[in-house]
Amino acid sequence: MSSDQRDPVATPIGRRRFLTTMGAASAVALAAPARGRAQAREVKVGYILPVTGPLAFEAQLALNGLLLAVDEINGAGGIKSLGGAKITLLPGDTQNKVELGNSEAARLIDQGVTALIGPFSSLVAFSVRQVTEKNKTPFLLLATVADNVLEGGLHYCFRMQPNARAMATLTVGNMIEMAKSAGTPIKRVAIMHEDGNFGTTMGNHVEAFAGKMGYELVQRVPYNLRSPDFTAELSKVKAARPDLLLISGYYGDSKIIAETAAKLRIGVHALVGLANAAYSNPKFIAENRELTDQLFDGNYWHNPQSPRARAVFEAYQKRYSATMSNHGVQGYQVVFVLKDALERAASTDREKVREAIAKTNLADHILTQDAIRFDDAGENVNATPALLQVQSGKPVVVGPARFVEAKPVFPVPKWKG
Amino acid sequence: MTWLFFQAVVSGLLLGGVYGLVASGLSLIFGVLRIINFAHGAIMMLGMYASYWLFVLVGLDPYLSILVTGPLFFALGMLIQRIVIEPNRDAAEHNQLLLTLGVALFFENLALVLWQGDFRTVRVWYSGASFLVADVLVEVPRLVAAGGAVLIALALWGFLRLTDAGKAIRALSEEPEGASLVGIDVARIRGVAFGIGSACVAVAGALVTPFFYVAPDVGESFNIMAFVVVVLGGMGNFLGALVGGFIVGLAESLGAAFLPGSLKQLVVFGLFVIVLLLRPEGLFGGRGGR
Repeated sequence: MSSDQRDPVATPIGRRRFLTTMGAASAVALAAPARGRAQAREVKVGYILPVTGPLAFEAQLALNGLLLAVDEINGAGGIKSLGGAKITLLPGDTQNKVELGNSEAARLIDQGVTALIGPFSSLVAFSVRQVTEKNKTPFLLLATVADNVLEGGLHYCFRMQPNARAMATLTVGNMIEMAKSAGTPIKRVAIMHEDGNFGTTMGNHVEAFAGKMGYELVQRVPYNLRSPDFTAELSKVKAARPDLLLISGYYGDSKIIAETAAKLRIGVHALVGLANAAYSNPKFIAENRELTDQLFDGNYWHNPQSPRARAVFEAYQKRYSATMSNHGVQGYQVVFVLKDALERAASTDREKVREAIAKTNLADHILTQDAIRFDDAGENVNATPALLQVQSGKPVVVGPARFVEAKPVFPVPKWKG
Repeated sequence: MTWLFFQAVVSGLLLGGVYGLVASGLSLIFGVLRIINFAHGAIMMLGMYASYWLFVLVGLDPYLSILVTGPLFFALGMLIQRIVIEPNRDAAEHNQLLLTLGVALFFENLALVLWQGDFRTVRVWYSGASFLVADVLVEVPRLVAAGGAVLIALALWGFLRLTDAGKAIRALSEEPEGASLVGIDVARIRGVAFGIGSACVAVAGALVTPFFYVAPDVGESFNIMAFVVVVLGGMGNFLGALVGGFIVGLAESLGAAFLPGSLKQLVVFGLFVIVLLLRPEGLFGGRGGR
């Protein structure tokens, strides 16, 4: 999940670690041309990520995914249609700042990248997209969620992951479908969302979606992220007797809301996060085992049924000694979207690569969706968040039906009043 | 509806106690030094980290950590006053204001460098403890925080009334020149006041860690409310700050329960503006009104 505000679970990596990464990347950059002249050409790809600053922790996870994918491609013989050309990643650090996003993008374009990947925050994306449009450079958005980033007739900007609208409506849709098949239909829905851009957008979608899906939005409570207490807000929700409580928030607020809801005996069938920064976050789950058990969350995820996803997770675990995060999955997959386009374009020309990305129809991927295809605006028409539920301390996919790895526990007994 | 009302009143009062203690420190500093201390929230954040690390590294209960962080932050407060604020005593008021803002930014970024933006929580055995009174939820750590805040604020009030140092602080707050003329070491007393204010907010930080989280910008959750409380209770009025804390806590909680959307913030800040317009000396009078 990305946002326009600092992310609650962010941990900046040390400068040293960033420099090591940069050093490694530039070492590759220096080495590659020497080899390249002798054998195949190289394909320069730039990334602009907030690898230092408030989003550094998650940016690093996404970057790990990028590096894993690039090494896998290069190790398997590079881009075949380009005579085995290797992908060279050129680094850019935005520190989650708009000006730096622009200047880093411009610098990388100057250095001749074929495409750019980034930049996490929607706010930075809004600005960088003008740089990439002007320079006619394909720009693959990573973790950027705001709906309107692709508005305005852009040609070079593409988004693989679900936008806010898909995230909100498909998660609620999945939940309603699941409840129906469990024999406990949902009629009354309440939402609590933080009152910034991210939460408000989610709230708007849930409200607009009510008529279409046939549920009643009985309570909508925007709240201030920094509020030290949510007892009154949750009491108001409880008094409205919803079947479902949706929560779109960041880390600290989401934690206190879940805790207070439990103590208040909120009396819903389920507590469901919408792209929640905490509820499917392994760190949060590990620190709050009892509280998080059977929490739902709609979020980016990988397809647990995919053998390829399993292999990628193993490779990630081996290389980084950690479980691949959903941001890592996004980073990994977006490189393969570009690889697929490069193979078909058989060129490093930006215009030709853009054409190829626009015609993407990629079925071999590790996401919880059908083939990756882009519409004219650059949105992935099949982008789908997974519906997750924490079971035995681990988020498992319980929807959509064809990706399910475990049976959902619904209604959740512990949230009963 | 009656349940919702009582629930909102109870959670408002529990929150108000903590606001009150944070604001008491701020009010004391204002009364004596005549500066608005923007670093107050940042000092609270440092206090919370101190309690967090004492718990993680030594296993010290956050409530007991007060015995360490109280004196420690008294000393830190005196140090900040001596090194940063006292030399700028004669500078223009807005410069002093910017100075404390600078201190706040310095501490927040220091915390970001030292401990990253990670959210940390202290899990003690009573973190999740709660009970119901006629269906109204009372969370034990919040009750302890509110009760503790009131006790400490009252103890400090007694200190200001009864001890020589306390009387010196009050004298300085009411009539700086006179205090100086009767032989009070005003520079030292200013340091003591800043120290007490800092200790207050560090203790408030320790009291909230069992049910809250610790992060570099966590002070902001309480800081702005503390300003409202100080204005409400009367600038420099120590007990007024405590009562003001309860009023703001109640207004916030009832606003959240009975008004749509994010209007609760509007209620609190509306109160702030109205009091400033109609009763700038605060509901209970300013420095003279103790």
